[in-house]
Amino acid sequence: MSYRVPIGPYHPALEEPYKLDLVCEGETVRDAELHIGFNFRGIEYLAERRNYAQVIALMERVCGICSNVHTLSICQAIERLAGITPPERALYIRVIMAELERLHSHILWAGIAGKVMGFKTMFMASFELRESIMDALEAISGNRVNYAMNRVGGVNRDIEDPGLLLGMLDGIEKALHRSIIPIFTKNHTALTRCVGVGVLSNERAKSLGVVGPTARASGLTQDIRRAAPYAVYERMCFEVPVETGGDVRARLVVRALEILESCKILRHALTTMPGGDWWGSKKKPKVPAGTAISRIEGPRGEVLYSVTADGVSDMPTRIRVRTPTYANMPAIRVMLRGAHLADAPLIQASIDPCYSCTDR
Amino acid sequence: MNDLHQISSVLGLSETWEEKNGSWWIAPAALDIRLMAAVMRSHEARFVTLTAMQLAQDAPIRLDYHWDINGQLLTFTTYAQGNQVPSIVDLCEAADWVERETHENFSIDFTGHDYEPLLLRAGDASGLQLRKEAP
Repeated sequence: MSYRVPIGPYHPALEEPYKLDLVCEGETVRDAELHIGFNFRGIEYLAERRNYAQVIALMERVCGICSNVHTLSICQAIERLAGITPPERALYIRVIMAELERLHSHILWAGIAGKVMGFKTMFMASFELRESIMDALEAISGNRVNYAMNRVGGVNRDIEDPGLLLGMLDGIEKALHRSIIPIFTKNHTALTRCVGVGVLSNERAKSLGVVGPTARASGLTQDIRRAAPYAVYERMCFEVPVETGGDVRARLVVRALEILESCKILRHALTTMPGGDWWGSKKKPKVPAGTAISRIEGPRGEVLYSVTADGVSDMPTRIRVRTPTYANMPAIRVMLRGAHLADAPLIQASIDPCYSCTDR
Repeated sequence: MNDLHQISSVLGLSETWEEKNGSWWIAPAALDIRLMAAVMRSHEARFVTLTAMQLAQDAPIRLDYHWDINGQLLTFTTYAQGNQVPSIVDLCEAADWVERETHENFSIDFTGHDYEPLLLRAGDASGLQLRKEAP
């Protein structure tokens, strides 16, 4: 006999509002229904009523964790439409901000995953370390959440002392090697809780079109930084970690290894960043009629912005935002089938979901 | 580039691919959407998303289907005839949510796809949020 277990939309096992209806037989989940929309703000509608400067601030509010990804994506799309190339230093600053954001997002996720597993030490260690990255972001931008760093044609603030950040990076890397990485990759408690749990096969990952660490943990190699490089990623030396297990452990390991790769990129960018202009043109951009698409590898995977202009108005005709959780979330249903009911919170957390992004 | 020629040829398109703003575009006068999905699947393309838009009031709804092949972004542009478009969900399960969302935003029916609400909650009006005639 089957029975239904409703979880959410507001529930201690979920970090944000959404609803899971689990169909169970005994302790085994047979199927799951997902319901989203509890954070729906109609941002794509609002974007058609903002000019090209205002819309950047609006898009920064799509997400509270990866806000920089959204401003970078929309600025890149507008720059492509208007034929604007930002100065070299600005492109390096964009890479540095994107990787700092990936670091704090992955470490935040490690903490949340630790909490869901009941491994509170991992939660405390992660959140302590994340603070130093938030301090770095605040030192650069003056803000801890919405950094307001990107503008069409450049960035709003310089990184005046890369040496200071390199010192901070040394400390972060030491702490990573001391606590977070061993917990992620070797700790018996963490790994046994995750092995064989919430499996997404390579075939289903392809067919569902999942992106980011969720895809790379199922053996797909896609990473927009490598496949379709933007800013100055083609000059950065880094590996794209891929695991083939498709389970929660594989997603844990991929993110752990990505943390180390982000440190590598940060060190490279900070030591090779050229001097010169970072602001770009002071003129208001003229955006001709047409459509341009920008894709960024955010912490959770590929973000796509499609911007369409009519060439007359100073407001976009249409902005489409496809966020990574939107692509990854339908896979939760597949991961949950056959799982233990007690693993459901961990499985849904393993894609590092962001419902603010998904609902927009 | 070989992939692009092969895709156009299998779809019987006379139009050519155009590289614009860093991605590849094609806007066929007549596009068999389901055949497109089947061909892209046979090329192991990843379905990225669908962008729907109405450029002016009373204009037909434009549909951009975005696919990725090894990091190359390919977009097919077509227009909805009336309010009905064939669904590709049975050929490409990744299209499920975006077809449901497009239905909610533009009141387009994807034929062959059972409609379930996605972003809208019970009692919300469906269908006209992103149409230009929306208030």
